[in-house]
Amino acid sequence: MGRRILITGVGSHMGTELARRLCAASDVEYVAGLDTRPPRATIEGLDFIDADIRNPLIGKLIPAAEVDTVVHNQIVRQPGPGLSPQQMHDINVIGSLQLLAACEKSGSLRAIVIRGSAGIYGSEPNAPQFFTEEMARLYPLRTRFQRDIGEIENYFETFSRRHPRVTCTMLRYQPAIGPALDTQVVRYLSQALVPTYLGFDPRLQFVHESDGLDALVAAARNPVRGAVNVAAEGTIGLTRMLRLAGKMTLPLAPQLFVPVVNAGRRAGMSKISPDFRRLLRYGRCVDTSRLSDELGAAPKYTTEKAVCDWIATNSGRRLAPSVREMVTPS
Amino acid sequence: MDRGPGFLPIGPALSFVRHVREGMEAGRDPLSALAGAAGALPSDLQTVLDRAIARFRGEYHEDEWGFDEEFTETVLPFFDLLYDRWWRVETTGARNVPSHGRALLVANHAGILPWDATMMSVGLLREAPLPRYPRFLVLNWAFTLPYISAFLPKVGGVVASPYNAMRLLEQDELVAVFPEGVKGAGKDFKDRYRLQRFGRGGFVEMALHTGSPIVPVAIVGSEEIYPKIGSSDTLARAMGAPYFPITPTFPLLGPLGMVPLPSKWRIEYCEPIDLSGYGPDAAEDRTLVFELSERVRDTIQAKVYENLVARGSAFI
Repeated sequence: MGRRILITGVGSHMGTELARRLCAASDVEYVAGLDTRPPRATIEGLDFIDADIRNPLIGKLIPAAEVDTVVHNQIVRQPGPGLSPQQMHDINVIGSLQLLAACEKSGSLRAIVIRGSAGIYGSEPNAPQFFTEEMARLYPLRTRFQRDIGEIENYFETFSRRHPRVTCTMLRYQPAIGPALDTQVVRYLSQALVPTYLGFDPRLQFVHESDGLDALVAAARNPVRGAVNVAAEGTIGLTRMLRLAGKMTLPLAPQLFVPVVNAGRRAGMSKISPDFRRLLRYGRCVDTSRLSDELGAAPKYTTEKAVCDWIATNSGRRLAPSVREMVTPS
Repeated sequence: MDRGPGFLPIGPALSFVRHVREGMEAGRDPLSALAGAAGALPSDLQTVLDRAIARFRGEYHEDEWGFDEEFTETVLPFFDLLYDRWWRVETTGARNVPSHGRALLVANHAGILPWDATMMSVGLLREAPLPRYPRFLVLNWAFTLPYISAFLPKVGGVVASPYNAMRLLEQDELVAVFPEGVKGAGKDFKDRYRLQRFGRGGFVEMALHTGSPIVPVAIVGSEEIYPKIGSSDTLARAMGAPYFPITPTFPLLGPLGMVPLPSKWRIEYCEPIDLSGYGPDAAEDRTLVFELSERVRDTIQAKVYENLVARGSAFI
């Protein structure tokens, strides 16, 4: 019998691409996609379930689908257009809680894969340069998103302790970059004038969109237990990255950063979340040996190559603000 | 090409400016205009300018720690000058430092700012048969500061964390540590050349784990560069600093008080201590770790006294 897989957040780029890859695999019998937004493309063989992850109704839908694997891909990383921090918190925390509760009732379940975030490690000036998977609780969780991720990780750990027969994988993603994506780092790089912290040159690490997808597919097809960092090898300095992209920078003293960026939003500067601000000041890198050795999804792009790939395909193009952001400025 | 009066290449300079202007008028961006005009300059200046422009385009290499060899080479002449003229450093035993593979340099620490780490690096680069850049662990506080936190990684500094040291050693790098830490750098002038406690022996654990030899290093001269006569807890707390030193010139003379005194230095690299016989599990053995830690400390203390005698007067 083939595999039966359910994907949440199938309306995102990553969700749609994952569904496409899984539907094409010969050993996968059934793929369901759960989201309030339809998939980005029509995918043959995908069973789209139009439901909200925050709704207790999914406690009936998921056991009924009789899947063996759940891929939780609906974690919002940035308070994006038309999404308030409160809604983001609801989707992340309440959504994950509902999903795991639904999984408890599903007898056929063998594996859960969560697309989490390396934000759990934080961005700290005096942290080890490379976080390994065991270093998740070294520093206090400082931002709202970090606390959300912390809660999700807690639920996840409780679940995996109580259900030893289910293989639970937590993928901790570094920010993704790539030509098809519209992430915070992509928006940041697309600005004509890029704000930076005066006197700081953080080491950054990203994951290329295709490597991020490969890791998700690998985890869905043969899950491993525990946390796995997902990132490209190598790091890049912010200054060097902006120079490679040929960007003009606006170095700001730390006290002025938030007021100037907020004022600049009227002039087309993009919004910068508290997490991303800390990243721009102190940076964060992770160790990726578990990704290649245990998950077997060695990334093809180094951080530098991923950045250069984005620059090569996007040079000169600016992302337009989305319609919803123009209608409802938050 | 005609040269202006004296040593100033005025002719080439004027022609360079004209080329830049023509380039800009032809609608090129400032960087390519500069690059295009470089042809008008003498060849050595041309190379320098070419490299500077390439750097502004991001065409340079940093490793995963942010170490930038080209940048380090650029700032080296300044440290060379300090090494030769200011502190007149005498280095001995540089042959004891392995020229390849992992190794841990363990040195005594003094002098508030990490001048001892820089002089140790310069000494190695100049005296060792096969020069190599050491990476050094730096007090965490430095990485919260603007500019300093951007500069340190470029020349090989990393946050003082055992994880960092182990990863560097596993990459077969040469790592320098100062186990006395703040206790060493911030001690009073009256306690000079008395080695402080060596932490909990973490550096021995790192060496045992990775099978790296330990090279003890004795540095003499660093204690006199900022004779610390007191400290202010209030100012330290206000700045979030581990301590705020008061010396005869600082903070009295402001930034000028940060100019180090020109003491005479000696650096000795001692015989390496090979730990590969113990195996990685020995790192769990507390008694062994303390024993080795004390042995390294005693070696350094003895060599410090030896070199202190050999140096004679502190400043002349």
